[in-house]
Amino acid sequence: MTNLMLLVLLLPLLGFAILGVAGSTFSNRAVLTIAWGACGLAFLFATISFFSMLGTPVAARTSDQVLYTWVASGDFQLSFGLLLDPLSATMLMIVTGVGLLIHIYAAGYMQDDPGFWRFFSYMNFFIFAMVLLVSADNFLFLLIGWGLVGLASFLLIGFWYRRPKAVAAAKKALVINVIGDFGLMIAIFLIFKEYGVLNYNNNTGGNGVFSALNPTSSGTLLQTVIALCLFVACAAKSAQLPLYMWLPDAMEGPTPVSALIHAATMVTAGVYLVARAHPLFELAPTALTIIALIGGLTALFAASIAIFQLDIKRVLAYSTISQLGYMFMAEGVHNYSAGIFHLTTHAYFKALLFLAAGAVIHALDGEQDMRQMGGLRHKLKITFWTFLLAALAISGIPPFSGFWSKDEILSSLLAQATIHNQPLSYVLWGTGILTAGLTAFYMFRLFYGIFMGDYRGSGHSSHAQDDDDEEASHHTAGRLRIHEAPPVMTVPLVILAALSCIGGLVGSFELIGLARWEPFTKFLAPVFADVHTMVTASLGVQWTSTALSVGVGLLGILAAWRLYGRGFQYKENHNPLYQLVLHKYYIDEMLDAAIVQPILWFGRTASRLLEGDLLDAGGRAVAGGLRGTSAALRRLQTGYVRNYALAILIGVVLIILYYAVRG
Amino acid sequence: MPLSAYLIVSAIIFTIGVTGVLIRRNPLIIFMSIELMLNAVNLSFVAISSYLDSADGQMFVFIVLTVAAAEVVVGLAIIVSIFRTRRDIDVDDMNLLRG
Repeated sequence: MTNLMLLVLLLPLLGFAILGVAGSTFSNRAVLTIAWGACGLAFLFATISFFSMLGTPVAARTSDQVLYTWVASGDFQLSFGLLLDPLSATMLMIVTGVGLLIHIYAAGYMQDDPGFWRFFSYMNFFIFAMVLLVSADNFLFLLIGWGLVGLASFLLIGFWYRRPKAVAAAKKALVINVIGDFGLMIAIFLIFKEYGVLNYNNNTGGNGVFSALNPTSSGTLLQTVIALCLFVACAAKSAQLPLYMWLPDAMEGPTPVSALIHAATMVTAGVYLVARAHPLFELAPTALTIIALIGGLTALFAASIAIFQLDIKRVLAYSTISQLGYMFMAEGVHNYSAGIFHLTTHAYFKALLFLAAGAVIHALDGEQDMRQMGGLRHKLKITFWTFLLAALAISGIPPFSGFWSKDEILSSLLAQATIHNQPLSYVLWGTGILTAGLTAFYMFRLFYGIFMGDYRGSGHSSHAQDDDDEEASHHTAGRLRIHEAPPVMTVPLVILAALSCIGGLVGSFELIGLARWEPFTKFLAPVFADVHTMVTASLGVQWTSTALSVGVGLLGILAAWRLYGRGFQYKENHNPLYQLVLHKYYIDEMLDAAIVQPILWFGRTASRLLEGDLLDAGGRAVAGGLRGTSAALRRLQTGYVRNYALAILIGVVLIILYYAVRG
Repeated sequence: MPLSAYLIVSAIIFTIGVTGVLIRRNPLIIFMSIELMLNAVNLSFVAISSYLDSADGQMFVFIVLTVAAAEVVVGLAIIVSIFRTRRDIDVDDMNLLRG
């Protein structure tokens, strides 16, 4: 099984290496063969591992095999091993499976791009980095995967490197991700200092952190600091407050990238890390409370921004941030498997939403502004239906997948509130319910805006006119012919739509009397067996929560229908509150004023005063002195043989005189 | 004749050579002056060799003669080469190495 895991890891790396070195000489077909082959085989092997795991008894499902010992120093061993347990198997399935669908889709979307081979080589690299992240069996290789994933996202966001905005977005993503990497590094230093090991669990390479934990150290400052440092990393990768700003800007990348990295997989790394390192978080209740709080805040905050955005990809980006907030809320109340469950269903429907949005953008030749859309339901039938299913799923309408996972999160929040009688948990639960309503509202605003009413575009993309770049290079002049995407793009949409519909059915059916049917939770149970703090909701609590969340979801859809059902109309609105939300609470502007500008000012001042007047001045003085001396000495070098002969003579005479005088 | 007589003659010839090297502008004359200096030294070698009744000094004379011949060959070749390119061999015009 481990050998298969190794193939899952190495095949995408091989694909990346081949395409990266020689891709420019390949035809598009050959590029696709390699990229699809690498990702497809990785998915195949991940599936085999997954199902052979299902066939083994629960107790024997975790395998952790050391492949290579990197450092062996005294009793300290640092080894590279692959960990296959239900959690990493789930993540592998999502990463390679959704990744494969997006690889297929991208073949259509990127068809005419001159960087076709480059794109697929980066995509394979991303799959490799993500697989390394989720299958590493120790914190160090997790960190390596973590950093490589950030690099992959940098490369893919800045894929259209001739666009200044894309380059700026890539830079922003990298900088914020590095803040997270820094947090992770500090956490790893502290873990190593405290426990002396970096493996998660005991294996042949040595003892693990999780078995070295001391339950009596619960709540100590050190544990809290470790957990919070880990969470800084998670917040940066998973775009939580206050490190979320890079994700909306990352929409500058090609749409398949948005779907793959910024919706389905990469941003879930933070959620995965909290689940993976849950024994550490369990020892830091304060940190968990903070995580739940930040998750809740982020969910509401991002959802409120999404309401008034006009760029369809930005709406989806903020909705991703908001949904990630849900996952952290779940993990904050110890319900890790609900967080992972929402991660899974979210991967289906959010990838679908992005890919469908990509199909719309593709059909309109690069147009992303909702004001230029409308009435597309007749032209883009498949996109229309799949988008509708995804919108229903994310709005938490039963029986679509989002309902099951969101419902589990909300009822476990309410259970936490009622059983421990914590006001904070009530607030969090209320936030979750409110966010569910907002989510349904903005998703259906988007839906009506794109597909309902009449077409509002001028016929040709404004984007194509003022933006002379790769994406626009293949635009035909004149009237735009709106067309459904080719099958290579619609087939992934249909598969994801099917998953969005039925993907939630592995959730808990306790609500309708089938208490024993919760395959997903049971599957993950061995990983979270040591969590005893999670409270289960009584049936009444569950019903309350479910009824309310579905209720506000329907209410949100109804409101969106009332406002936008006959087509989206954009009106200028100068209400200050509206302007505040439209401009994303001016957070970017505030950050610019509070951090970016002072740093730039410091840099400029330092370069003028320190560098110019202090350091360079010294250098210039030395250089000037040398130049003056050499100018004086140069006079001696006349070029006349006679002068040299005279100098030799004087020298000889002086030497003779010296010996003569000395005797 | 006493040794000092030989050495004085040698010193006079050497000084003539040095003066020639320093004040003449024709490289051929400068070469001849260098030959004078070398042979002044040869003279004192031979004189001291005879005075000390030892053959060492005379051996040095042969070495100096050989080196002088080689040096003249190289020097004349350089002068001919310069003359071919410049049609002139005044040493004061050759200051390409001035700093």
